[in-house]
Amino acid sequence: MSQTSTATSQPALEAISPMREAWSQFLRNRPAVFGLILLTVIVAFVLYGRYIFDGDPYRIVWGPLTAPGAREGIYLGTDFLGRDILTNLLKGGAPTMAVGVSAALLTVVIGIAVGATAGYFGGWMDDLLMRLTEFFQVLPALLFAMVLVTLFSPSLFTISFAIGIVSWPPTARLTRAEFLRIRELEYVTAARSIGAGNGRIIWRVILPNALPPLIVSATLTIGVAILFEAGLSFLGLGDPNSISWGLMIGQNRNFLLEAWWPVAIPGIAIFLTVFAVSLVGDGLNDAFNPKLRSR
Amino acid sequence: MLMKRRTLFGAIASVVALSVGIATAEPRSGGELVFVSGETPRHMNPAVQSGVATAIPGTQLFASPLRVDENWDLHPYLAEAWEWSDDGLSLTLNLVDNAVFHDGVPVTSSDVAFSIMTIKANHPFQTMFGPVEAVDTPDAHTAVIRLSQPHPALLLALTGALCPIIPEHIYGDGQAVRDHPANNAPIGSGPFQLAEYRPGEQITLERFDDFFIDGRPYLDRVIYRIVGDAASVTLSLESGDADIGIVADASSITRLGGVDGLTVTPQGFEGIGPIQWIAFNTRVEPMNDVRVRQAIAYATDTDFILNALMRGVASAQTSPIIASSPLSDPNMVTYPLDLDRANALLDEAGHPRGDDGTRFTLTMETVPGRDAALGNIPEYLRSQLREVGINVELRASPDFPTWAGHLASGDFQMSMDIVFNWGDPVIGVHRTYLSSNIREVIWSNTQGYENERVDELLDMAGRELDTDARASLYQEFQQIVGEELPVYWINALPYHHAFDDRLGNPPLTIWGMMQSLDQVYWTEDR
Amino acid sequence: MGTMRYIIQRLFYGLILVCGVVILNFFLIHAAPGDVAEVIAGEMGGITEEMMAEIRAQYGLDKPVIVQLGLYLGQVLQGNLGVSYHFDRPVTDLIWQKAGATILLALSAQVIAMVVGVTLGVLSSRKPQGILSGFVSVFSTVGYAAPVFWTGLMLVILFSVVIPIFPVEGMVSARFRGSSFDYILNVAHHLVLPASTLAILFLAQYARLSRAAMIEVLGADYVRTARAKGLGEWRVTFHHALRNAVLPILTIAGIQFGNLISGALLVETVFNWPGMGRLAFDSVLRRDFPTLLGVLFFASLVVVIANLLTDLSYRLADPRIRTGGR
Repeated sequence: MSQTSTATSQPALEAISPMREAWSQFLRNRPAVFGLILLTVIVAFVLYGRYIFDGDPYRIVWGPLTAPGAREGIYLGTDFLGRDILTNLLKGGAPTMAVGVSAALLTVVIGIAVGATAGYFGGWMDDLLMRLTEFFQVLPALLFAMVLVTLFSPSLFTISFAIGIVSWPPTARLTRAEFLRIRELEYVTAARSIGAGNGRIIWRVILPNALPPLIVSATLTIGVAILFEAGLSFLGLGDPNSISWGLMIGQNRNFLLEAWWPVAIPGIAIFLTVFAVSLVGDGLNDAFNPKLRSR
Repeated sequence: MLMKRRTLFGAIASVVALSVGIATAEPRSGGELVFVSGETPRHMNPAVQSGVATAIPGTQLFASPLRVDENWDLHPYLAEAWEWSDDGLSLTLNLVDNAVFHDGVPVTSSDVAFSIMTIKANHPFQTMFGPVEAVDTPDAHTAVIRLSQPHPALLLALTGALCPIIPEHIYGDGQAVRDHPANNAPIGSGPFQLAEYRPGEQITLERFDDFFIDGRPYLDRVIYRIVGDAASVTLSLESGDADIGIVADASSITRLGGVDGLTVTPQGFEGIGPIQWIAFNTRVEPMNDVRVRQAIAYATDTDFILNALMRGVASAQTSPIIASSPLSDPNMVTYPLDLDRANALLDEAGHPRGDDGTRFTLTMETVPGRDAALGNIPEYLRSQLREVGINVELRASPDFPTWAGHLASGDFQMSMDIVFNWGDPVIGVHRTYLSSNIREVIWSNTQGYENERVDELLDMAGRELDTDARASLYQEFQQIVGEELPVYWINALPYHHAFDDRLGNPPLTIWGMMQSLDQVYWTEDR
Repeated sequence: MGTMRYIIQRLFYGLILVCGVVILNFFLIHAAPGDVAEVIAGEMGGITEEMMAEIRAQYGLDKPVIVQLGLYLGQVLQGNLGVSYHFDRPVTDLIWQKAGATILLALSAQVIAMVVGVTLGVLSSRKPQGILSGFVSVFSTVGYAAPVFWTGLMLVILFSVVIPIFPVEGMVSARFRGSSFDYILNVAHHLVLPASTLAILFLAQYARLSRAAMIEVLGADYVRTARAKGLGEWRVTFHHALRNAVLPILTIAGIQFGNLISGALLVETVFNWPGMGRLAFDSVLRRDFPTLLGVLFFASLVVVIANLLTDLSYRLADPRIRTGGR
């Protein structure tokens, strides 16, 4: 009696303590904490900054391509139309990050679904799903995303969708590897022996234990997705009805020789965001795998 | 560092020239000309492919019967003389007798006949040779063009890229001219022949030694270099990598204008007559009400667009015919900024403001890449029209085909559009306003505009040989559409030629680079 | 299993994948609004409905999509990738011309990234907390966290406005006229900026990897033994570190290949490098289906081959894999 209760209570224990332990490891990692703080600052700026600098980003405030600080109130200068860059930067942060997060979400959902099914059930389903994964890996990502966006007309939604569709294979592989590994562990066989169904095992037993590397992967995917969206916007395939940092770079690109700041500033914003996200991701990675930490 | 190089070189050169007593204006033979462009031509035969990209190399390879200068005056080219018949129904061309094609075969009147009929059958500008019934060839150097009605546009249609004389002995082999293999290795009778073609990269043309005008061309070589975008064009011109180019955005124009050794001028585009306008789909609500269209015109501050958005490099355009054309009406009704008037018109038209101040929502088409370079007027209108209670939503097409599809199928309310005049109004202007030209095709009467009197006037003007009578017909036409505003003209595209100062006889006729460069030379050795 | 059989099996299977890619994109691109008739209309400044219909008939666009697909696949299986709608030239010619430029760019970038990255990583491993180490971290972070086209644009400003020593567009000067050797020099001169931009993207990983490998090895037993025996410390360290790092480096190179192609497209756009990336991008906008599909076919094929090569070198480098053990 006591054996079985230990067996069933073990998964619950194992699910909690890695997280807590990882968190304290994370806090000891200086770059990771720096990244987290930076990210929080950026998100705060984007979410609340636009209430402080609450002008209409589309309104033409002064002459085009005015330098930062050249005029009272225009802190970061104006773009090629004469719109305030700071206002646009703040207003554009939310769509940029929204695309990053939703694309990452889509990537993770598809990736986990495919990887878990393949890793858990094995056999012909594994083969089939792995073929599918390879197919999407061979697809040239940017080109395919371009085709999709052209087909469906650019909008925040179609861009997130296109990015998600081409980015899931690595997540699927990772999930599958984890499931293959965990599937053979003791507590899973124990769970099955007490009659737990496949669904329950996948959801409540394996997945929670597979989460750590997946969380890391998801975090890093956000960074990749933001860069991807920036690229699409730069090529002219961004959503014109919303502002995004990549779009700002693309729109002002032809005036580069005259004014570098409308291109440089959004680029720096993207860089800082992706940098912060990567630091956090790396920190999580180190925290979950203290043995493999590369100092 | 780059600018100094140009000035220093230029200074030394002129000192040397002066001290040796050489008149720098004397045409001298030799040298090459590099033209840089962001457009990729599909191929080089303007007989079946219109457009600037094909026209520029095409007019070096192929000669036309006539040529035109910067004052819209006609000059001989392959035809040394021409004459209308008394009834205006036929035009006789007397060809030079020493013209040969690049492969040595002489140019004869049957080539002219073949070319004109081929252009008539294949060229998208159907109105150019529409009234041509046949071309008779009484002898090897005489061609008589016979018309079904008087056609004053014919003379301009025989110049530049509109009428390249192509060799019948090559194109007449039964294959469709449109995708004939010779289009990628063209044989013409123009001053330059094809030396090398790297698709999407570069076209190298070399002097044709047996060109029918003695001593011409002066240049040894013309290179058409294709780069990716406007910024690259500007960089190439600035660094001296290229000698001449066309720039169209305020940034490049201002920047290049400040470079020593470069001349930047808006001259050379009067033939194209590129007009940018706001197109209204007059078939749908609320654009079907002329008061709404006029209200939008009153709400748009064209001064701001020209001076702030376009930085003063574009010229205003208030009528359907390009301002530099002799047929343009200088007394058009204008719509200076007047928000009160705009509001009043909208109220009158039955569109009161709602509680939030909005009257109605309009969707405006935009092509982000194109519109950004041209003052980004859709973005401007989005914020400006809010002042009169119109909420503008932008629908972006990622590229040209998507956008063209919307306009062609009438699936739009408002959009910016750019349409060229192409010399004579019959060729490029009529198509926008004739009710018979409402088709499912881009750059037809996509506005769905119908006015009987306009149809009448355009028809009559197309066949009126008397210049004064023609001018007054077009004047009445312009006055009508100026009131009805199926489109609202904003500006002429600020195309500018930017070229090395040392170029003699730079290509600044009304067709600019789209006419033969045989008269161009370098005033100094390079 | 036998290596030869493995290769053939992978290639055959890879070919099926590539065909799948082409078929999927065939349907997608045909479903996109607008076609080449409208593009031609745009270039020509006008068109008639009859001409549009003729153009569509000429390119077979008026047939049902399935029929078009069948015709296209039949063509491809005969080795004919079709004719570009835009240039009226065989797609294989175009790809042949442009592929060289892209491969040159991609390979140079990889080489630069590897050499510079490994060097920086090794150098900074000696003092993991030192200034150089910090600098390397920051610099390589800029590489992957900043958008590659933005890095390129910043370099354009630097080298066209501030210190104009490198050309910022094109692969060869317009006026170039000279010997083959001069040609190579001219191209190399133009290659510096685009290849460096692309390399910066991958620098970080190589730097971090080699630094980690070096650190791990520096403290190991055999180094101390070598030191005690008086053998060249650096030689031994380097030799072992390299052995450890080879597999991960290969893995990265293989995985990054797909990113390399995407990055090349953006870099080609910024620097007007006449490669396949640019060709593909323009083909989407111009609805030049044969060219686009041809490029997709070629790019996918290259990825398949790159993966195969990576796996093969994996097997060579790590004997455990060759015997089938996991």
